[in-house]
Amino acid sequence: MQLATAKPKPTPPAYRRFLRDYGWAYLFILAPVLLFLVFTLYPVISAFIMSFQKYNIMKSKWIGFDNYTYMFQDDIFWKSIKNTVIFTLATVPINIIITFILAFFIFQMKSRWQTFFKATLYLPSVASGVTISLVWLAMFDPTSSGLLNTFLGWFGIDPVIWLGQSKTALFSLILMSYLGSHGSGIILYLAAMGGIPKSLYEAADIDHASGWTQFTKITWPLLKPTTLYLLVTGVITSFQVFISVYMMTQGGPNFATTTIAYLIYESAFVFYDFGLASAQSFVLAAFIIIVSVVQFKFFSSDVEY
Amino acid sequence: MQQKSKVVLVGVATFVLLIWALITIIPLYWMIIGSFQDSAASASFNPRFIPDSWSIAPYERFFNKTNAFRWLFNSLFVSGVLTVTNVFLASLAGYAFAKLKFPGNKSVFWILLSTMMIPSQVTLIPLYVLIINIFSLGDTYTAIILPSLVTVGNIFLMKQYMSSLPTSLIHAARIDACSEFGIFYKIILPIAKPGLAVLAIFTFVAQWNEFFWPLLVTRSSSMRTIQVGLASFKFAESTDYGAIMAGATVGALPMIILFFALQKYFLQGITVGAVKG
Amino acid sequence: MARVVFNNVRKEFVDEKKGTFTAVENSEFVIEDKEFVVFVGPSGCGKTTSLRMIAGLERQTSGDIIIGDRIVNDLHPKDRDIAMVFQDYALYPHMTIRENLSFGLKNLKKSKAEIEQQVKQASSILGLDELLERKPRELSGGQRQRVAVGRAIVRNPQVFLFDEPLSNLDAKLRIQMRVELAELHKRLGATIVYVTHDQVEAMTLGERIVVMSNGIIQQIAPPTELYNKPNNMFVAGFIGSPAMNFMDATIENGKAFVEGAQIALPQAVADGLKSYEGKKIIVGIRPEHLYGEEFAHTVSKEHTMDVTVQVIENLGADNLLYFKVGSRMVTARVHPETIARLGERKRLVIDISKLHFFDPETTQRIALS
Repeated sequence: MQLATAKPKPTPPAYRRFLRDYGWAYLFILAPVLLFLVFTLYPVISAFIMSFQKYNIMKSKWIGFDNYTYMFQDDIFWKSIKNTVIFTLATVPINIIITFILAFFIFQMKSRWQTFFKATLYLPSVASGVTISLVWLAMFDPTSSGLLNTFLGWFGIDPVIWLGQSKTALFSLILMSYLGSHGSGIILYLAAMGGIPKSLYEAADIDHASGWTQFTKITWPLLKPTTLYLLVTGVITSFQVFISVYMMTQGGPNFATTTIAYLIYESAFVFYDFGLASAQSFVLAAFIIIVSVVQFKFFSSDVEY
Repeated sequence: MQQKSKVVLVGVATFVLLIWALITIIPLYWMIIGSFQDSAASASFNPRFIPDSWSIAPYERFFNKTNAFRWLFNSLFVSGVLTVTNVFLASLAGYAFAKLKFPGNKSVFWILLSTMMIPSQVTLIPLYVLIINIFSLGDTYTAIILPSLVTVGNIFLMKQYMSSLPTSLIHAARIDACSEFGIFYKIILPIAKPGLAVLAIFTFVAQWNEFFWPLLVTRSSSMRTIQVGLASFKFAESTDYGAIMAGATVGALPMIILFFALQKYFLQGITVGAVKG
Repeated sequence: MARVVFNNVRKEFVDEKKGTFTAVENSEFVIEDKEFVVFVGPSGCGKTTSLRMIAGLERQTSGDIIIGDRIVNDLHPKDRDIAMVFQDYALYPHMTIRENLSFGLKNLKKSKAEIEQQVKQASSILGLDELLERKPRELSGGQRQRVAVGRAIVRNPQVFLFDEPLSNLDAKLRIQMRVELAELHKRLGATIVYVTHDQVEAMTLGERIVVMSNGIIQQIAPPTELYNKPNNMFVAGFIGSPAMNFMDATIENGKAFVEGAQIALPQAVADGLKSYEGKKIIVGIRPEHLYGEEFAHTVSKEHTMDVTVQVIENLGADNLLYFKVGSRMVTARVHPETIARLGERKRLVIDISKLHFFDPETTQRIALS
């Protein structure tokens, strides 16, 4: 009845309606999606195929699992895995502890000092990996007049050949990581600490909870998402540690600092064995994907995407 | 009782923080101080912490032996272009993913996001083949820029940021006869300025500091970015620490100045799109 | 002529996790030209979705929407001859008030002179002249509200849509704006569709009210009819404050037996309830239709019930007495000087002409005539 009085307007064809309703949205994501297809998806598939080939620009040869077999029989590959794991285990947890303590201490300060310490501790993160590596290379000078050796000299310790010997080279890189910038982690922790409602602590005070109890029952649990986030991003980053190795040790001496990322670089761009390098890169990818998936399991309830 | 332990805590905290701030700053301080002392003569690099004499000789050597001005320009150009493209494309796509309804919105976003798990080492080799051998772009700006026009991480950040903007503004603009691109350009971009600024700054710094990809696709000295140039200088002149420190300072100083000028954005920006506290 | 018609309109949302969710189900109504209609209901009942479908911000899954004499199903919001006022005002924060008001007209490529004239007119109606060069953040909540209304007025639309426009204002300002909106409606002579969750706002503003719950229209009626003849227990409980009381009762021999009382029903009512003889029924009575014995001047004292008072709230103008009938809590709104003590028995007079009867199975009102 109501329809009778209304001028019927022909419905436009479905595809035009679709374009009108959604065309803009697709246009907005068009460039990123195309870039993704060409510069991410295609390379991933291509790398996967390469890992089964003896790669050559003109004509690649299919060799099945040979790259993988060679890789798993290669002592240096296992050494690089070991180095990477040692580096990760030695740096990530301790760096998080350092980050947390610094953030906790900064949180106790008045706001002006908070800004000062945040800025100071963050500052080195704006310098590039190349710059930082060059400076540390100089600080690791093995003679007695090198900066770190001078410092050790004050305590009567003999000069150390930091990067020049197998037994200290990896440790030197680890030390550099400890003393590097923890700025962004500190800021994340501080934001999280600031987000804990004061009323929780007031309620705890009323219940006569000690400072330590408040810390273990309120502060630490509520910071868990941040801690996990730093843990996972830390692990992923240190699995891929490269620039400091490239700049400072070239993987040596005697492969003592060859990490998996450096090994991939060497296979690909020193020996130009793209097939082997691709196989190695998929091992790295497997590590990282496992960590990421574990992260997602932990995080899905804490993070809103 | 509570009061007293608080005072002790603040005391300890101040002490530890001052020590650690010193440790953190020493390498940069040492780099700058060292770059102004001429140690070319001596075999090892041993600058004084409080210099008794200043010299710009390391800088003269660095600039004389290298293409450093060209490198700086290259870095500025590449980072500048990538900052513009990333801000524009990431905000546009982030806005679409956050605020527009279209079939496949969630699935496309999740596919993009899940590839963030794949480390760059996997894609680098085929990317290298693609750019150098297939597109024959070796040793060009295009080669450095093309794969990084917009990163998935930036799209993710922008999606997070755009989600926090009020949808009613978009509805109001739609009723106000604004076109869809007009809504993005005239309404969303102006109100998203703080987020865009953070994205721009972080992209610029990240691209300025990018090392590996420009290293792979550049051959000639004149196409190097400052980071790649510095590395090549180090391997060529490994004993001239003074000049190396001068170069390192030249490479880092623009970012340090940027940091002091835009400190607020640096310190607040990190939390954009990060974990809920 | 700008009627707004829904013809069997249905809206489903598809959520990848939760599956399909029906926000509006088979909605049918006609809003007449120049009418002020209020949609009211609890949050998530589909009222805002209905409004957005009128605006064209959401596309209905099926059915037709007619504005004026056009089917607008596939028309862009800008072509529907509507304007909308949002809950959070949605003023463009980076534009001045003048720019906010003229943004839509500029997009419609109106001439400069016309834009200026429209802005001037709207700003003088709403008293915004002083604020035109300011930014929204420099304005108070009430001023922002006026600008939001102004932005709708300059478009000179056939239909105004309001989405909970007063809910962000404090109580005092809300009452003031309510009066202003009612006056504005008279002055503009346009059709207004207004969404709110506040039943007081609905009762005072609406010429007719659409009560919604769970995506379904429960009743469409003028305020008094809604109050006097609610279609079902949902509407009965939603409209009026404090809410209507419900008591379980049994009908026997023309009497309603409630715990603590038996109510002899007038013949007409008893006849109407004949088919419920011996069955359970739900009796509804509003708190204001229960009287303390000593103040029951306006009604016959024939029908009473004795209750044990559990809570007394003194509101100044009235007292609220709370007591239990069966397992249900019942409220009486009585004269403030009514004598009642906690825990003691109190005799209340029931205005039996104001009783409502509902079927306990269907929760629908039982029609008596």
